[in-house]
Amino acid sequence: MSEHHITPLKTYLAVAGTLFFLTAVTVWVSYFDFGSFNIVIAMGVASLKASIVALFFMHLLWDDKKNLTMFVMSLMFLGIFITVTLLDTGFRGGVNSEVENPINNRASFYDSLPLTDTHGHPVDEHGSDHHGEDEDHH
Amino acid sequence: MSHDNSSPNFLQHHFHDVDQQYETAKLGMWAFILTEVLTFGGLFVAYVVYRSWYPEMFVGANLLLDVNKGLLNTIVLITSSLTMVLAVWAIQKKNQKLSLFMLIATFLFAFMFLGIKYLEYSHKFEVGQLPGEYYSYMGPEISHLNNPHIFFSIYFIMTGLHGLHVAIGMGLIAWLIYATAKGNLNSEYYTPMEMIGIFWHLVDLIWIYLFPLFYLI
Repeated sequence: MSEHHITPLKTYLAVAGTLFFLTAVTVWVSYFDFGSFNIVIAMGVASLKASIVALFFMHLLWDDKKNLTMFVMSLMFLGIFITVTLLDTGFRGGVNSEVENPINNRASFYDSLPLTDTHGHPVDEHGSDHHGEDEDHH
Repeated sequence: MSHDNSSPNFLQHHFHDVDQQYETAKLGMWAFILTEVLTFGGLFVAYVVYRSWYPEMFVGANLLLDVNKGLLNTIVLITSSLTMVLAVWAIQKKNQKLSLFMLIATFLFAFMFLGIKYLEYSHKFEVGQLPGEYYSYMGPEISHLNNPHIFFSIYFIMTGLHGLHVAIGMGLIAWLIYATAKGNLNSEYYTPMEMIGIFWHLVDLIWIYLFPLFYLI
């Protein structure tokens, strides 16, 4: 097995350095608001990092290409999975406008929840127990 | 059928030579990685669909997560990926001692990841940011949003399944530490280390997506 490719140490260190740098970049840009491009930028950087991990750390760059083919095919199936599901859930309103959004805008158990502060403790605004069965919030 | 005396003892009789054995193991590992991508893929689809239904709620709910802890965990996991790959590198270079040290470092980083995750989870249990019907947090930042329990359902299932992978990975790395210390793995035969390494990098790769999806956007 001595003929296996041995990646030089400095390649691994450079790869790790790049991953740390890209992590810093993705956190830094998250403090700016680019509207709907927030997701695109975050996923773009994540995909770049993931490709680096797969190619260098998982050795796909030097492997027999059948392994890379297999991995890319799993990602293609994931792409099909997401696309076809969104074609359903994203366009339901086109046929029947009342199912465009989820039917219950708010789950009913929220009505019985007391307001809390940032530590999760109930804020007793009304001076009464909100769990009472006889109360009607609507 | 048996091999002649020159064939190494780790070569199993049904393989032609050590390279075929190694390549077969690797192909099997990648088939397993494929099923892992599809397992997590279903959860990513759930995230995408619910985010498209509740965009404001997702943006509001992710502010409840602690970016610093998420960032720290990202750094810990990338470092552990580096030490894992260096363990394989060291054993290829016939340096079993360094390889053992790198494996132990990887194990400790994995433990650290789960420790930070425990701090995050226990805070969420305390304030009631829990999945589904167990949700009870109605703090000022979130009380105007619809159904944040859906965000936390997806958060707990995805990070929980990922955490389970970290825990399984720790078990596998512990076994690698044992096998390397005993001298069962060497520069001629290190297939288990390479395969568990691939698994460990997959764990890192999934976290690379989970971190921005839950903590940043």
